[in-house]
Amino acid sequence: MFDLLEPLLFAILALTLLGSAALVVLAGRITTSALFMAFAFLNMAGMFVLLGAETIAAFQVLIYVGAITVLILYGVMFTPQSARPYGLFFQRQTPVGALIAALAALPALVFSFGFHDNGAALPKGNDLAKIATSVFSDFAFPFEIASVLLLAAMVGAIALVRRQE
Amino acid sequence: MSLVPLGAFVAVSAALFFIGLGGVLVRRNAVVILMCVELMLNAANLALVAFSRRYGLVDERGSVFVVFIFVIAAAEVAVGLAIILALYRNRPTVDVDEVTEMKG
Repeated sequence: MFDLLEPLLFAILALTLLGSAALVVLAGRITTSALFMAFAFLNMAGMFVLLGAETIAAFQVLIYVGAITVLILYGVMFTPQSARPYGLFFQRQTPVGALIAALAALPALVFSFGFHDNGAALPKGNDLAKIATSVFSDFAFPFEIASVLLLAAMVGAIALVRRQE
Repeated sequence: MSLVPLGAFVAVSAALFFIGLGGVLVRRNAVVILMCVELMLNAANLALVAFSRRYGLVDERGSVFVVFIFVIAAAEVAVGLAIILALYRNRPTVDVDEVTEMKG
């Protein structure tokens, strides 16, 4: 009975993830898009738990569902809704863009089913120690660069939105 | 042992990536385009974690990359929203097809 639990959870998570991602693209109101984006991020955290990467799932909830969604909602509040909220079906590039995305997606989807496990999956969970060891030993220099990047982004964001007196 | 095959995770990741790509190409509002870019980054995260957990290497390189992608996504969305707000201050629109100042 528990053998069926994991595929069932995967199916539910995949359907809600792809459905809410499609609603992000299709929804007319921007606020609806933002909230469905948060829901998609939560489902992605569930996917990470299913893969056994619990630390990444926690980061996903903290950073994406918490910080990035709030930041995007701030952007939604500061900018007005378009006068043409349903411009989706009347703009010129819509058919071409959708066609390009679909044509590129087909071979990628077929190709992605070709990957198989090589029978050496890691045990689930307990990945924090390994990630921390990697980050602070092999990836110590990229870690420092990432902190500089965050500082530069913070300074840049403040400089961009500051009013010139 | 692991009942859900690796290919299923990679397929979900690819589908999510191309949904995001379609949104970037189709939508007109700059904030929604930013959301779709975030979805594409998250799809890449799913593929990285899936390969990291299932391809039998001893360490967690893929998950470490995902941590760095989190950092870059946060920086990107902060700067992107700042650019959108600065743009909105210069002219009252956030529709990318009406921003034609730099059009040749």
